[in-house]
Amino acid sequence: MNTDPSVVQALFAGHYFLFAFLTALGTLQIAVSNAGTRGLWLTSRAGITRWVGIALILAGIAIFFLQPLWVDGPWAAGSVEADSLTREWGKSSWDEFAGARNVNDIHGGLDGTKQAILFPLAAISAFIVSAIAGTLNVQFFTRTRRRDEGDQHPRITDGLEGLESRSYFLNLPVSMRQFRSEIGEYWRNGLEDADRWSVVKALFGRSPR
Amino acid sequence: MSAIDLNIVLWLNGFSGNVKLFDDFMRVVASDYLMPLVFSLVMFGLWFSGKTPRERVRYQLTMLMGISALAISNVVVWLINITWNRPRPFVEYGDQLNLLFYPPTDPSFPANPVAVGFAVATAAWTINRTFGGWMFAAATLFGFSRLYAGVFYPTDIIGGAVVGVAIFWFTTYLRRLLEPLVTGFVRLIRGLSAA
Repeated sequence: MNTDPSVVQALFAGHYFLFAFLTALGTLQIAVSNAGTRGLWLTSRAGITRWVGIALILAGIAIFFLQPLWVDGPWAAGSVEADSLTREWGKSSWDEFAGARNVNDIHGGLDGTKQAILFPLAAISAFIVSAIAGTLNVQFFTRTRRRDEGDQHPRITDGLEGLESRSYFLNLPVSMRQFRSEIGEYWRNGLEDADRWSVVKALFGRSPR
Repeated sequence: MSAIDLNIVLWLNGFSGNVKLFDDFMRVVASDYLMPLVFSLVMFGLWFSGKTPRERVRYQLTMLMGISALAISNVVVWLINITWNRPRPFVEYGDQLNLLFYPPTDPSFPANPVAVGFAVATAAWTINRTFGGWMFAAATLFGFSRLYAGVFYPTDIIGGAVVGVAIFWFTTYLRRLLEPLVTGFVRLIRGLSAA
């Protein structure tokens, strides 16, 4: 390799983040459109949201693997061989683009640890974008009936269930309030129901009388 | 055993170089980015997929087990690697192989990417048999592409698959030791409106 591996790694990290972000956003849209979690939809209709999700996944994959055709990197035409040691800097050719991304991590490719850091960041970014878009959707484009409307003793919905009828930013305080009010009992019940081998139960559970 | 192993690699790799489109497809599938990302996306997508609160909690707990299994698989593969340094096929028989992938420097057995794929596929299978079946197919294709590319022996792939499945089941058992911390963690994320 005639290029500094850290330069290659920075290039790969940026490309991988975009790849992971687009595909995570697409996957999230498919999942939330099927589950009816309106507060995370990019559009106001489930069917369209699902197709947008599929398009985002395909776009993410296509951009990542075709990028070497128009972006300079360690894949110059004529230098892409199985061993990434002999690569030159430049644009790839159609004949070689399939192997362009196969760069060993010692030559600047991303190892599992770096991917394990970048993927969660991309997934969280996809969630934030969906929450913002979903908020606009719920506020301006969707006329939804609140699930608890008309009930005398409405059940308070929170978490993803609450996002079926609320925007993320309206749902967050409700979810936090529910969490604070329930966590004590939840923890006590959890300790009681836990397996007798549970280390947590052994440490924090009450001793039998 | 190793003779059969070698013959299968040589036979499969012998098909490379004939159909460029198929070779290119295998190069993309074998890459370090596509299939590992698919496995991560499966876990990410399933986290949000349940239609009822009970179903969501079940999916989310299984996904946490899947993520833990993925991490533990890497540790187990590393432990096996430092115990037995099996050379890659191209190291010993490079002159007979048409290498389609960069030559990795770590030991061959067991196949780490396959272990990760099978751990995630087993998690998906416990939630939905059909979807899990597709994930097993994807993990197998990932292993096959690396075999075709000449960087693994068949027994490395089988070893990786066994490690992945076994570690997932071990992780579900391990969860019992950590309850109610695990369900409490899911409850916390629900408090942040993300579960």
